Amino acid sequence: MDVLGYLASGFAAALTPTNLLMAVLGSLLGTFVGVLPGLGPTAAIAILFPLTAVLAPVPAIIMLAGIYYGAMYGGSTTAILLNIPGEVASVPTCLDGYPMAQQGRGGVALGISAIGSFFAGTLGVVGLTFFAPFLADQALRFGPPEYFGLMVLAFTVIASLSAGSLAKGFAMAFLGYFISLIGLGPSTAEPRFTFDWAPLMSGVDLIALVVGLYAISEVFIGLEESRVAITQKIRNVFPRLADLREAFPAILRGTGIGFFLGLLPGCAPGVTVFMAYDAEKKLSKHPERFGKGAIEGVASPEAANNATSSAGFIPLLALGIPASAPLAVLLGGLLVYGLQPGPLLFQKNADFVWTVIASLYVGNVILLVLNLPLIGMWVWLTRIPYGILGPVILLLAFIGAYSVRNSMFDVGVSLVCGAFGFFLRRYQWPLAPLLLAFILGPLLEKYLIQSLSMSGGSPLIFFQRGISLALLVGAALLLLTSLVLVRYTSRRVKEETAEELAL
Amino acid sequence: MVAGAVVGDDTFPLIVGVVLLLLGAGILFVARLPQVKVARPYGEPRKRMILGAGVLVAYWVILPYLGYTGSTALVSTGLFRAMGGYRWPLALLLGGVTTGLLYLMFRVWLLQPLPTGLLGF
Repeated sequence: MDVLGYLASGFAAALTPTNLLMAVLGSLLGTFVGVLPGLGPTAAIAILFPLTAVLAPVPAIIMLAGIYYGAMYGGSTTAILLNIPGEVASVPTCLDGYPMAQQGRGGVALGISAIGSFFAGTLGVVGLTFFAPFLADQALRFGPPEYFGLMVLAFTVIASLSAGSLAKGFAMAFLGYFISLIGLGPSTAEPRFTFDWAPLMSGVDLIALVVGLYAISEVFIGLEESRVAITQKIRNVFPRLADLREAFPAILRGTGIGFFLGLLPGCAPGVTVFMAYDAEKKLSKHPERFGKGAIEGVASPEAANNATSSAGFIPLLALGIPASAPLAVLLGGLLVYGLQPGPLLFQKNADFVWTVIASLYVGNVILLVLNLPLIGMWVWLTRIPYGILGPVILLLAFIGAYSVRNSMFDVGVSLVCGAFGFFLRRYQWPLAPLLLAFILGPLLEKYLIQSLSMSGGSPLIFFQRGISLALLVGAALLLLTSLVLVRYTSRRVKEETAEELAL
Repeated sequence: MVAGAVVGDDTFPLIVGVVLLLLGAGILFVARLPQVKVARPYGEPRKRMILGAGVLVAYWVILPYLGYTGSTALVSTGLFRAMGGYRWPLALLLGGVTTGLLYLMFRVWLLQPLPTGLLGF
């Protein structure tokens, strides 16, 4: 079957009532959490992850992808109307979106953001449709040393997730590797770091870790911050033809920048949005309008954000490399369901992959169709007091962590991780490298052991095979590129918000 | 490690351990980490944080004994009171509604078993 045939069968599965319902539910729940000031896509996925863990793999991943897209859309709403970005990828949207809102054009900014996101997201998924299978085909000749090279390549992502300090990022990553070692060893089932304590034998559960680090700690961080609600009335969210004409070239450019840079493992939306915004400002005949409510200043970064997020699915599904923290959680979700992203996923689980890809198209349409008319409801929801939301999120996280394995130990892990995550975030130690390494650690170890067994213990095997060597060299080059991009983004974030980077 | 094998379950932990030691030493003695000034929480937010964390830990302790219904009703009321500052009657109402909604979500919709405790519910 060719790509279009697979895609058609994917649509047939994605449009079944259950899967469609999951896409709608995911988009709505994601938007709801994303629209809450300060909460971004990672927190949204973390809070809602346990709910999906009990579903079958296909509806669960469809729901997670919907939550991811929805939360990004919700993040734009608070960036435009409140000047509060949920994650760094929404910072450039604030620069012109908020002035537009102050001028009474918040509805138009939201409309352009939604249309740009839809356009870029859909084009990104078209790229995913045709590019990911090609990439997966190339990678079919991979053996353990090549997979090890791929895992090292994935490690370079840590540079862009390190929030400005590479030393802290690497330390957190190796802490993540260490936590992933707890439990039974993969070769001999020998207990490691369990201290003869039975609950530790099965290791630390990913969902308990994610819920603790991102959901529980988020609530306590939120208690410190003063919360604001959207009070202004949004009248018309449908842009005029003149607005569309003005914004469309910016959407196209943002999509191009976001998509092609997003193909690089380690290039998170936080990086590409600033590049798109700066490029738009440089190309503009009236750069002085930027920062004062230029519609292109909203259109371009929003398109770049969604294009990068969609493009991020290509290295995620074809190679198993997540480009950002929410995609790392999605990778964890795939692994929880026994699906290992990478070249073989397209061969072994073609039905699953194509259903998910088709559901991304569906998700984009759902967000456009549902969210624009529902903007009044989202605005109203930001008025729910934090004194209600906080306890509800905590209870949801608590019961969610329990329900995955019916284990009070997992709940204990998420409470400990919640406290740990709270202090790490306050002292600006990045959580994403820990999470990424925790997820990739078992795979890295597996391929390392298999490769070294093949070579009789000689690490030279990684340099003697062409693809493996190319991947390692590629990893080194990507690390350098990421460092340059992160330095650029870090400087820009500081210029615009006077805060440290946390991609 | 299996006898005769050159690598085994101890290989990766060894690498991770050595790198962690090196990174730790590097961070302590070489790397100049960005200075982070963190203001300690005080007043009302600190009180809410401590109370909220305490109630959560209490939940972890009592859930296996009191079961889902009793412990969640108690704890959610406590959380709304501690973190939201609501009066007892409203906190009790919010706690009851939240307990019911979470039960519907996890037990009825997702068919997940919830702890029944000594009371059997």
